[in-house]
Amino acid sequence: MTEDTHPGRYGPLPALLLWTALAAVATLALWAYRASLDQAHMALAYLLVVLGASAREGRLVGLFMAVLCFLLFNFFLLPPFYTFNIADPLEWWVLLSFLITGAVAAQLLHRAQRAVALAEHRAQEIERLAEEARHVEALREADRLKDAMLANVSHDLRTPLTSIRAAAAEMRQQGHEGAAIIEEEAQRLNRFVTDLLDLSRIRAGALPTEPALNAAEDLIGAALDRVRALPGAEAVRVMLPAGDDIPAGRFDFVQALRALVNLLENALRHSPPDQPVDIELTRGGGFLHFHVSDRGPGITAADRERLFEPFQRGSSATGRLGMGLGLAIARGTARALGGDVEWKPRDGGGSVFTLRLPAADVPGLS
Amino acid sequence: MNTVALIVDDEPHIRRALRNALADDFDKVLEASTASEAVDIAAAQRPDLIVLDLGLPDRPGQWVCAEIRKWSSTPIIVLSAHHAESEKIRLLDEGADDYITKPFSPAEFMARVRVQLRRARRAMVPGEDDVVHLGDLTIDPGARIVRRAEEEIHLTPTEWALLRAFLKNAGKTLTHQQLFGSVWAASSGDPQQYLRVYVANLRRKLEPDSVRPRFIITEPGVGYRFAIHD
Repeated sequence: MTEDTHPGRYGPLPALLLWTALAAVATLALWAYRASLDQAHMALAYLLVVLGASAREGRLVGLFMAVLCFLLFNFFLLPPFYTFNIADPLEWWVLLSFLITGAVAAQLLHRAQRAVALAEHRAQEIERLAEEARHVEALREADRLKDAMLANVSHDLRTPLTSIRAAAAEMRQQGHEGAAIIEEEAQRLNRFVTDLLDLSRIRAGALPTEPALNAAEDLIGAALDRVRALPGAEAVRVMLPAGDDIPAGRFDFVQALRALVNLLENALRHSPPDQPVDIELTRGGGFLHFHVSDRGPGITAADRERLFEPFQRGSSATGRLGMGLGLAIARGTARALGGDVEWKPRDGGGSVFTLRLPAADVPGLS
Repeated sequence: MNTVALIVDDEPHIRRALRNALADDFDKVLEASTASEAVDIAAAQRPDLIVLDLGLPDRPGQWVCAEIRKWSSTPIIVLSAHHAESEKIRLLDEGADDYITKPFSPAEFMARVRVQLRRARRAMVPGEDDVVHLGDLTIDPGARIVRRAEEEIHLTPTEWALLRAFLKNAGKTLTHQQLFGSVWAASSGDPQQYLRVYVANLRRKLEPDSVRPRFIITEPGVGYRFAIHD
C-alpha cells in the first residue's frame, strides 16, 4: 500500500497549487462577507476545502490544507485582522477545533480510501487468480487432449505398421530390393511415435511408474538385449562392483530400461567401430550409477547446454540418426524415477553419460 | 500329424501377414475376427496354437483366454501394443503362454511360435525330473545337483525352488506373481520383494555371463522366461 505517496489526480505539486488557490478564493469570499458571517460558518467553509483536498489528493495534501486554512482563517478573518494574534480565547477554541476536525477528517478519509484500495486490490487479485486458474484449466484440458490423441495415434499407427513390416519382410524374402528399406523405415516410424508419446507423458508428469526392488545387472542385461541388433552391442564391456552381493535399486524397471537403452544407443551410435562402449556400475550416496562411456567425438561446448533438450541432435552428429529425443527422454524418465542423467567428458576423449537411480539395501538372502 | 493354427484378430491385413508366416509350419491356418468366433472355432477344431490379438471388437482377450483354458492347454500367444505391461500380465495370469509386442517382424513372431510348439510337444512326454543339459551345464532335478563341466554348483533351497519352477515352465513367460506363487506358495510380503534379487543370484550361478543371460531371460515389466528351447 503506497497511498501516502500516491500523487492524486493531478500530481503532488499541481494539486497543492490548485487546492491552495481554492483556499485563497474561499478566503476572499469569506473576507468580502465577513461582516454578515459567523465564525462557525467560516470554519465550515474551510472544512469543506480541507475535506475536498483530503478526499481527492490524500492525507498529506489534506493535512497541509488543514494547516493552511487554519493560518488563513486566523490571519484574515479572526480579529485582530492581519495578524496571527487572537483577541478572544474562545476564538482559539474555534481555531483549534477546526484544525483537529480537519486533521481527523483527513486521517479518516485516508483510512477509508486505504480500505477501498485494499478491497479493490483484492478484487483484482481474485480476478487475476481466477483468470490464471481458467488458463491452467484450459492448458490441462489441452494437455489431456494431446495425450489422448497421441495415445490413439500411437495405437492406431502400430497396427498398420505391423502389417507393413510383415508385408515388407515377405517381399524381401521374395527378393524385392526396396523391401528392406520399407521394413527399416516402418521401424523408425514406430520408434518416433513411441518417443513422442513418452516425451508428452514426461512433460505432463504422467509417466506411469511402478517402483519395485530390481537387481542392477538385470537392468543392464535387459538393456543389452534391447540393443543387441546395433553394431558394437556384442563388444560392450560391463564392469560390476566386486563382491557377492547383488547391487539393487528401487525403481520402475520398464521406465529405467528406457533411460538406459537410450544412453546405450546414443553411445553405440557415436562410438567408432573399433572402440567398445563401456558400462560401469558404481554405488554411492544412496544411488546406483550406471556410467555409459563412449569414445565418440564428445560434446562441443555449444551443444552442452541444450544436450538434454528435445530435438537436439548435436552439431557433430551426421546422417539420419533419429530425431534427437533420446537424451531428453532418458533424463525426463530418470528424474521421474527420483534419479537423473548427467554428462561428463571422458578422459582421453568421448563422453560419459551417467544414469542415477535410487539404490536399495538388500539383506543376505538364503 | 495334421497341425492347425488359429489366428484371432479383427485386422484382415494382420491376419494375412500372420497366415503367411505360419503357412510353412502348419498344415492348416484358421482365422477368427471376434472373441466369440475364436472360442467356437477353438472348441470345434482343437488347434495346436492360438495367436490372440488384444482389442477385439466384442469381448476382451482375457475372456477368450479364460474360456479356452477351461478345457484346453493349447499354447496361446498374445499380440499386444506397447505400454501395455499390466494387460500382458493379466493375460499371462489368465493362462496365455507368451506375448509379442507390435510391431514385430515375422521372424521374431515365428521364433516365439516354434518355442511354444516344442514346449507343447515336450509337455506330452512325462518326466519332470529328467536331467537337463544347457551348454556345459548339467541339471539333475531328481538328485538336486547342478554341474558346470565337472564342478558342482551349490544352490540354496530357494534357488532350487526357482530353478524347478523355471524348468517346469521352460519356454513360457512367467509373471513375477506366478513365479512367486510357485516358489513361496502362500506366503507373502518380504520374500516377494526380493524375488528379482533371488533371480539375479541364480543367474550369477548358472549363466556364464550374468549380464548377457542365455537361459533366464527378463521380460521387462512382466516377469521371466526360461529359454532352454530357444
